[in-house]
Amino acid sequence: MRISFDNLQNSLTNQMANLSTQMNSLQNQIATGKRISQLDDEPAAMQQVLNLQVQNSQIAQCQQNIASLQTQATSAYNAMSGLQTISARAGEIATEADGITSPQEMSTYATEVTQLIQQGVELMNSTSQGAYLFGGTQNKQPPFVATTDASGNIAGVTYQGNETVPATEIAPGTTVSVLVPGANTTGSGPGGLITDTQSGADFFNHLIALQNDLLAGNTTAISSTDAPALTKDEDNITTQIANNGLVQSRLSTANTLATTQSQSINQAVSEDSDADMAQTMTQLSTTQSAYQAALESAAELLNSNQSLLTYLE
Amino acid sequence: MPGLLGTLNLGARSLQTQQQGVAVAGHNLANANNPAYARQVLEIQTSTPLPTSIGSVGTGADAVAITQVRDTLLDQQVQVEASITGSLQSQQTALQTAQDNLGEQLQSTSSSSDNTTNVGSPGALDSDLTSLFNAFQDLSTDPSSITSRQEVIASAQQLTSQFNQLDQRLTSINDQLNQSVQTDVTSANQLLSDIASLNQQIVGAEAGTGAANDLRDLRQQKVEALSQLITVQSSNDSNGDVNLSVGGQLLVAADSVQDTLQAYDSGGGQLLVRTTTAGAPLTLTGGSIAGTIDARDGALNSLQDGINSLATQLISQVNTVYNPGYDLNGNTGANFLTGTNATNIGVNTTLANDPSSLQASGSAGAAGDNQVALALAQMADTSQADLGNQTFSESYNSTITALGSSLNTVNTQLTDQQSVQTMLQNERSSVSGVSIDEEMTNLITYQRAYQASAELVTTVNQMLSSLVTLGQ
Repeated sequence: MRISFDNLQNSLTNQMANLSTQMNSLQNQIATGKRISQLDDEPAAMQQVLNLQVQNSQIAQCQQNIASLQTQATSAYNAMSGLQTISARAGEIATEADGITSPQEMSTYATEVTQLIQQGVELMNSTSQGAYLFGGTQNKQPPFVATTDASGNIAGVTYQGNETVPATEIAPGTTVSVLVPGANTTGSGPGGLITDTQSGADFFNHLIALQNDLLAGNTTAISSTDAPALTKDEDNITTQIANNGLVQSRLSTANTLATTQSQSINQAVSEDSDADMAQTMTQLSTTQSAYQAALESAAELLNSNQSLLTYLE
Repeated sequence: MPGLLGTLNLGARSLQTQQQGVAVAGHNLANANNPAYARQVLEIQTSTPLPTSIGSVGTGADAVAITQVRDTLLDQQVQVEASITGSLQSQQTALQTAQDNLGEQLQSTSSSSDNTTNVGSPGALDSDLTSLFNAFQDLSTDPSSITSRQEVIASAQQLTSQFNQLDQRLTSINDQLNQSVQTDVTSANQLLSDIASLNQQIVGAEAGTGAANDLRDLRQQKVEALSQLITVQSSNDSNGDVNLSVGGQLLVAADSVQDTLQAYDSGGGQLLVRTTTAGAPLTLTGGSIAGTIDARDGALNSLQDGINSLATQLISQVNTVYNPGYDLNGNTGANFLTGTNATNIGVNTTLANDPSSLQASGSAGAAGDNQVALALAQMADTSQADLGNQTFSESYNSTITALGSSLNTVNTQLTDQQSVQTMLQNERSSVSGVSIDEEMTNLITYQRAYQASAELVTTVNQMLSSLVTLGQ
């Protein structure tokens, strides 16, 4: 083939341009650690990575949801534990009152029960992140309001919430409710913590009855009516605490699963998009050598004495 | 027999011939770096011999022509490949610009909390889309929280702003491509005029004399430049003219421009190309004009349509769920998103001033009710029938990777095409390009022949001198 002056120049220019492009690409891969970074690098892999990226973001959000629910569940658990202590003490008082005849002693117990009710109302008005825990979805006002009579005894406790509780996603498509309503008299849906038609619990009213019976010295009613009713209340509270534990366990499991899924996704993303550093470094080294050789040969050809002009006088 | 005077004349003509050879070699050397130039060769022919009784006696040689070394087949192939390259280059530029404007680039991001490395494309629309649904998730865990509501509103504003910006950018690219079509058409018309003018000059220059080599080089260069803009069919007539046509419509015949190209709005602001005398658009098969139109009406149009469909569907679906919800004040019936597509999508302006009016609740007066917020959050995983049974994110990702796929295909085709074109150009350079060594050799050859001819003249002169003094 005849080689013209153009051939030589074009060939050198093209070779160096190609090698520069290759080096630039390899250098980018090494600097970013990514084999693909632009949409046109490998469209199918890129689409998969983008979809996996969305999944990962959703999982991270679900983990945030779980953390938020765990805070709520722990707050609810603390309140319910306190309520269980109150319930246990009320049961003791009901049992102890059976053998007491002194009005003074009865009055003292009645005062303690009054305080227990107030304590219970305070616990049931616990908040988490600014929202009342036991008001159902009406969580911007205290769910329980106690009214007292002229003597300072509790005359009644009114529930201001509703029987609906919010559900939150802990995994794409999976929701869970960590809260229980303070009362549910509908006979369906989530069980109420204080008042629940399904279990027969009506804790505050039963405490008020105990308070009133203690003040009246009606030991018969205490033993035959109040004590069994309080037992039902305690059973209901215990059931709700157990449910809370189960939900917390479920949250923990969901969190672990989310972490595992996230790791798997990161692995898949890595396989799709990460550069094989050893291979890429080797390729860069090879390309650099070729580029260096091209530069040297170009310099040799363009500057050298390999021309007829050199030999002409 | 020519005699001494005849031989002296032979020497003089030989000097002229070698001198012309030196001039041709010098012209070749001067154009060694001119890619449009085809090397020229001096054709030397033996002069008519004189018949004598002992046989024909030579009378020297004459320079009869200066011809250029061209392979017309290679020229035509280079011209065809220039059209294909022009088309692919303009497509690549358009699609690359669109890809850059999408802002999708995988980057490694480290999370200090769990010491992991993730990938993401911050600032891109898919990231904002995910952020909005995550903000709805946050709100569903605490629906009465003003902070969570503000976060939802801010995320939605960011997303809608991103839609608006992206739409503006794509519209701007579309405008630039139309401008590019207009500019290319103007350039092509100028080239048509130049070629017609060169036809006239060449035919004039070649009338009765040799080939107008340098003008032919210039014309070939113009034809190739025109081919880069639009695929033309060229034919040479016996007078030395190049006639050009596009899609069967004659544009240049001999020294006149029969028709010109015209960019016109076919409706909707999209420029197409036709000839000035015809109403129908030309079916373009190559050149940068065709490439620009292909990219604009193909991948870029699909991209913009896909993003508009996504925005339209997002507005419709979000509002359908959101509208029946209740805000913290018990109000209902408002929409969350406004507008109809990516151009005008926005967030209900009352929300920015009053986050409590965000309708996250499924029932009135229940601040802790998260039914609407949850339903909106769960929309992230809901397949949309109008988006090809894909989720919003999947739809966006498939839309943008379709663009990436088109660009990838064009990149591959262009790389292959450039190889073909480089090989053809090398092949042509091999035939028509100037070799300095070759020309230097020719130069020396002509120089030596010139020296020898001069010696002949000197010798004959001496002989004549001897003859003149013979009788004295």
